Amino acid sequence: MQTKDVKSEHKEQARPQPTLPAAESPSGIDRARLALAISAGKLASASGRLLRIGGGTSLPGMIARRIDPNVLKSVVGASKARKIVITGSNGKTTTARMTAAIADANRFRVSQNRTGSNLLQGVTSVAVNAASIFGNLDCDVLLFEIDEGTIPHAVPEIQPDVVVITNIFRDQLDRYGELYSVAKALNKMLESLPETATIVLNGNDPQVANFGQNARARRVYFGLETMEVGTPVPEQSADIIRCIHCNHDLEYKVAYLSHLGLYSCPNCGYTLPKLDFAATSVQLASDGEGPTHTTIRTPQGDIELTIPLPGLHNVYNAAAAIAASMAADFDITKSDAALSHIRPAFGRLEKIQAGDKTIYLSFVKNPTSFNLIMRLIAQHQGKKHLLLAMSNTVVDGEDFAWLWDADIEEIVPDILDAICCGNKAEELAMRLKYAEVSTDKIKMIHDREAALDAALRNVEPGGTLYILSGYTPTQELRKIMQKRGWVKHYWEE
Amino acid sequence: MSQQENGGRLVLKIAHLYPTLMCVAADRGNLFSIEKRCKWRGIATEVDPIYVKQTPDFTQYDLILFHGGADREMEIASQDIQAKAPSLREAAEAGTVFLSVCAGYQLLGHSYKPFEGPELKGVGLLDMHTEGSSERFMTHMALECDFGSGKQILVGYENHSGRTYLGPKAKPLGRVLSGWGNNGKDGGEGAVYKNVFGTYLHGPLLPKNPWFTDFLIQRALERRYGKVELTPLDDTIESAAHNAALKLAEAYKGTVSAIEATHWKR
Repeated sequence: MQTKDVKSEHKEQARPQPTLPAAESPSGIDRARLALAISAGKLASASGRLLRIGGGTSLPGMIARRIDPNVLKSVVGASKARKIVITGSNGKTTTARMTAAIADANRFRVSQNRTGSNLLQGVTSVAVNAASIFGNLDCDVLLFEIDEGTIPHAVPEIQPDVVVITNIFRDQLDRYGELYSVAKALNKMLESLPETATIVLNGNDPQVANFGQNARARRVYFGLETMEVGTPVPEQSADIIRCIHCNHDLEYKVAYLSHLGLYSCPNCGYTLPKLDFAATSVQLASDGEGPTHTTIRTPQGDIELTIPLPGLHNVYNAAAAIAASMAADFDITKSDAALSHIRPAFGRLEKIQAGDKTIYLSFVKNPTSFNLIMRLIAQHQGKKHLLLAMSNTVVDGEDFAWLWDADIEEIVPDILDAICCGNKAEELAMRLKYAEVSTDKIKMIHDREAALDAALRNVEPGGTLYILSGYTPTQELRKIMQKRGWVKHYWEE
Repeated sequence: MSQQENGGRLVLKIAHLYPTLMCVAADRGNLFSIEKRCKWRGIATEVDPIYVKQTPDFTQYDLILFHGGADREMEIASQDIQAKAPSLREAAEAGTVFLSVCAGYQLLGHSYKPFEGPELKGVGLLDMHTEGSSERFMTHMALECDFGSGKQILVGYENHSGRTYLGPKAKPLGRVLSGWGNNGKDGGEGAVYKNVFGTYLHGPLLPKNPWFTDFLIQRALERRYGKVELTPLDDTIESAAHNAALKLAEAYKGTVSAIEATHWKR
């Protein structure tokens, strides 16, 4: 939720053209209501920060929407800024972060929302904070990461120029019922976009790649196209392993992450589209820490990247960010410089120094992200001390069955001890027990601070603690670490 | 934790139906629960994954698992299972233990009519039929069961739009304490016929209801081996998880969708 400083060079840049009809000119009463809504939202935001309560991320939007339900549409719809919306199950935050870095390298002023404020209220908060009380936005790029279920409501209000869909994994079944209902709603949204918009799709995802077949907007595809990484078959928790047209089992030349890969249907011939932004070469660091070297083939030639982040998922994030950047008319030749100093987003294998001990803090929310982080951690030297934390909230969800789809068995020989915390501590402990972690290594401590202290006591001086936690526990644990001076507040990053 | 009392003489033969097709809500946890609770007692397990187009003789198994899937997967399973149906019915009549969950449960009935789309044919092994609804039950659930040795409680999470109505040959698995169960009207949840058990409980169901896991294991073994005594296990963690889930079910009683009723902060 920050607007970067104006850079003088920026004035020479061509301003993006509005692609949609300007909002109808509002009446005096409408204008007064809008001003009131924005002021109230800003006040809520300021007092939230002052008092350091909550993330200060959802409340301003919630208040502003209550005063003027059209506030988001009035502010964002009327703005001439380029509007990029990023959605999907995994990778939204880092893709947004990378896109912002490329925009920044182009000296555009970016306003963007933060993780966890990706529901409608959070998105509105960004607009309210970035706008003047008259509803004018002073920025060049509006970057929103939005929960995939919120998209159908948010897109008509935002009227984006670029929509990125990172992937659709088994996630939030307790919110949306079935995977396919989310997909159906997303596809309908894409078909509503005007022909001036660009849709950026993950071509390696058999379901996402088929989105927008009847859309007026232009479609571009990103993904991986290399045999240097991946496995012969998708992992157990993969969702779309059958052809979306004829239900026949898909054949994989290579599977990269979950059901993402180079697939084709031997029955009806469905296969991935030609990738406009393809990682044709990937070299991962063997220590699970990075950097990652990759070559991205783009319509403007190959771009060589060195990303200081580990894992295949970050190659996807980079390819998606470059695709989104080109769709938004940023100069993508600046991508390497822009991404070469990118730091992990809040709680994405974030390395934290806690006195003489090191903490890796990782936000995980579905089997795909859990497996991915677990496998990266497994590449780190030595046996592991773990802290696992899950709680049920609106953001985190109610149903934690997905823990049983995570392949925790793979890391079991590496586990020295594990503290389970949050109000899902019992489920976590039970999952570990049935993965045959000996019960004397497992402890349940509901209180987050007590759990963190106990977990750190398990760690020898100079040693490392690995935290895998859901959204709210990640935020809360980080808050504790911030109080202790181990990390900055994420507003100050 | 392992007990050698049974000397590894006992073998539990399990058929896991459609493990990659009908697997949406992490119900493989049910299989883990059965396998580990057998292993910790020195009972061997043999698990055969049964895929589309395979038609084994199901009477050779002691326990058959059939889990949930979304409507699209269900359509594939409905078509395929017709070839498996005669042998499945034979096994059920012979007393093989079945655990079926959600879509798997629905497909053991006569039919499933989704809210949109054509009716799917079931196995007809449980006397019941299911109709889709526009409203989806997505919340914590608890039910009270009595299989002849006193009242016991099952807990978990339900996530279904189907409304199931039992015929005279099927009995409900339990009485709903909180949540909605079969149809949200008659207070019944799940179905039982001989040793065939069906339920809407995900979670997955068995890990946090260890008494039910042991009940299924015992029933399945006794059919082959006669009277079997299962060594008690230390269920401290399982009981804690069971109680936590029961507390949630009580707290969310009356909610159609738990996520809409939940707290922003915890």
